[in-house]
Amino acid sequence: MKAINESFAICGAEAVFNETIPVGQLYFPSWERYEASMRGIFERQYYTNNGPLLTKLEDKLQEFLGVKHVICVTNGTFGLMMAAEALELSGKVVLPSFTFIASAQSLNWAGVEPVFCDVDPSTHQIAIDRLDALVDDRVTGIMGVNLWGGACDPEELEQYAKGRGLKLYFDSAHAFGCEANGKKIGGFGSLEIFSFHATKVLSATEGGCVCTNDDDLANRLRSIRPSYGGVTPTDVVKVANARMSEAQAAIALLSLEDFEVNRKNNEKLFSIYDEMLSSIPGIKLIKPAGVTLSNYQYVVCEIDEENFGMSRDSLIEVLKAENVMARRYFYPGIHNSVEYRKSLPDYADSLPITDYLCGTCIQLPIGAMVDSNSVGAICKIIDKANHNSDYLQSFLAESKR
Amino acid sequence: MKKKYKIKELAILGGEKLFSIPKSTSNLLQPSIEGFLGYSKTFFDQKRYTNNGPNVKLLEERLAEFHQVKYCVTFSSGFWALVLAMQALALRGKTEIIMPSLTYRRMTDMAAWLNLKPHFCEVDPETLAMKAETVIPCINENTAIILGVHPIVNCCEVEELSAVAKKNNIPILFDSVESVYESTSSGKVGRFGNAECFSLHACKLFNGFGGGYLTTNDEELALKLGSARSFGFVGVDCVGVEGGMNAKLNEMHAAMSLASLDDVENQIAKNRARYYTYKSSLSSILGIRLLEFDEEFKTGYKNIVVEILDDWPLSRDETISILNADNVLARPYYYPPLHSKPMQYDYVPANLPVTDNLAESFLNLPCGQLVSNDEIVEIVELIRFISANARAIKESLSEVEGA
Repeated sequence: MKAINESFAICGAEAVFNETIPVGQLYFPSWERYEASMRGIFERQYYTNNGPLLTKLEDKLQEFLGVKHVICVTNGTFGLMMAAEALELSGKVVLPSFTFIASAQSLNWAGVEPVFCDVDPSTHQIAIDRLDALVDDRVTGIMGVNLWGGACDPEELEQYAKGRGLKLYFDSAHAFGCEANGKKIGGFGSLEIFSFHATKVLSATEGGCVCTNDDDLANRLRSIRPSYGGVTPTDVVKVANARMSEAQAAIALLSLEDFEVNRKNNEKLFSIYDEMLSSIPGIKLIKPAGVTLSNYQYVVCEIDEENFGMSRDSLIEVLKAENVMARRYFYPGIHNSVEYRKSLPDYADSLPITDYLCGTCIQLPIGAMVDSNSVGAICKIIDKANHNSDYLQSFLAESKR
Repeated sequence: MKKKYKIKELAILGGEKLFSIPKSTSNLLQPSIEGFLGYSKTFFDQKRYTNNGPNVKLLEERLAEFHQVKYCVTFSSGFWALVLAMQALALRGKTEIIMPSLTYRRMTDMAAWLNLKPHFCEVDPETLAMKAETVIPCINENTAIILGVHPIVNCCEVEELSAVAKKNNIPILFDSVESVYESTSSGKVGRFGNAECFSLHACKLFNGFGGGYLTTNDEELALKLGSARSFGFVGVDCVGVEGGMNAKLNEMHAAMSLASLDDVENQIAKNRARYYTYKSSLSSILGIRLLEFDEEFKTGYKNIVVEILDDWPLSRDETISILNADNVLARPYYYPPLHSKPMQYDYVPANLPVTDNLAESFLNLPCGQLVSNDEIVEIVELIRFISANARAIKESLSEVEGA
């Protein structure tokens, strides 16, 4: 059998891209803006702990997100750990297993057992209709996760949690700048956590924040962070040491200035993926669900092996050879990670949708590292792989022998 | 030189403050901006902002070399470096962590993140360091780990403490946050015990905006912690180390740390000059003892700690209030001691008379880049003035309070 077009890097041809294309957003300010910000910090000699840039960033985020309090932190994971502390969660907390492992790890650090819920097969968001089966007397809260630039129906979850007297908060690491029913993500539940990791639409290299409209919670969070000066001292069990530095705040401020430009760029690139992938059989682009505005920071597709002609993992191999760093995401699902298979073995076969998605989802590049042309080229590789799937499958099988 | 001649000139009695800008005990050292920008260019050009980027790798190599150890692992802070190291080293199934009470106020919080119970030990009244004879009484069948914390001037007897740990088959982790540059009779700090932890906070010798690192000769430990700081990942899509989190150092902070490391000899020279200014001007004041650096081996001269002796005419806290009013932000040395603080988690109740006594008599004086040698002379003159006029100051203060 011969390929219709033999030029696949995995078969020895030259790669489509000279340099590797990572999947993350990776927007960053120009060198001139970076240098100017850093020189300012050196002049002020104020490096961390409630500095002038951090205070400005928190004010701007409060305004942007329409929430009363924003508490910036070293990274989103610390935001999650601090949230569990501040909310005084105990016993068990329900969250989807189809999310990044840090969501569950934050609970373990707070001494809380994660309870894994399955997700909706079309939106990938937490399956609210599965919650009843999981909520028992030991469950004290729900961690909603807003996935892929979409939202997990925060209003319905609010109703659900209220009806059962459960605390509700959101891991909104993927949802900065998104809106549900015209309302910015950030103000739902007791609090929400965003990530400002370099791979997210708002970057502080590492970073994150916790948002809340509750004054007491805000004081507790600031005391756990901790923060010296300018904070009403509040008795907390222990601190987390999760301050954001002035350097991180500087990058976040510049990134916030660029947000709409970057969001629009993502939207444009996403629409190219949408248009070009829609005609390829067996690949389904997941569009941000449950939002009226998205940041389009993730391009995630399901690969139906039968219709596409090859498995998700094979497609990743083909793309990687072309220097496109496509990846499985999420994989293998938190409940199937070594750590949780050992500590919570009962979930092994209880999350069929999550297991399906972990076996079929692929994340493709979007953000600063790609432009319209490169997205077009990536889609063409996928199209070509689909047309030559039999050839590639046998080539891959052969090369593994 | 600014000097006070009448007690009414003291700020606490309504006079003008000696310094318009507060003089702090935080040792804020600033590396060269060009050095920092130079390292920044590396990650900027590679578009690698975090996740084991080029500056983090270089910093770990350079720090390992600096401390003469095989491995260095960086973290987002010294706090989490210590927590993750304790987690990795503590004996499974054991519940107690031995630590001094006269130390950093967040130390027990670190233990609490791991549900380890602090078991507090005494320190030596001369050196303020924990030592074998204060640690041994705390060892029992529940001991999971010993946290060997250096005081902020000079070091613990590292070999002696390590020997106690070894004899009892208990791991020992050194908190060497204040001993970055120090050497001991057995060599440079960084290679003792199972591992040592340091801070890259802005107020430490290496200002990295914030951050921390661990040094060790134990390859397995270094690998484990390299994973634990990054969610436990041991490979692509594979979380193989339990108890992971995100405690990664970002590239900007690594760039800052590298610039600070380049500048260290220059900073030590300045610290030394400040220390000597204190030493010579304090020597003629009675009732106050400067904790002297042991200069037999390399030392960083970073912190200025004095003891208020019995013949000092005021209490430690009165002295601090008077100094603070004049914007000399002297601080009590590690106060209150940890065993006397309310804790909302388990700990072993302790009776520590030596620590209780020491806790009332030491204070830290301003240091670091924001204090010049001339200003140090002014600070010491203020202390001399307070001492010489103590009785009158006390009377005026009680009048103010009574009015």
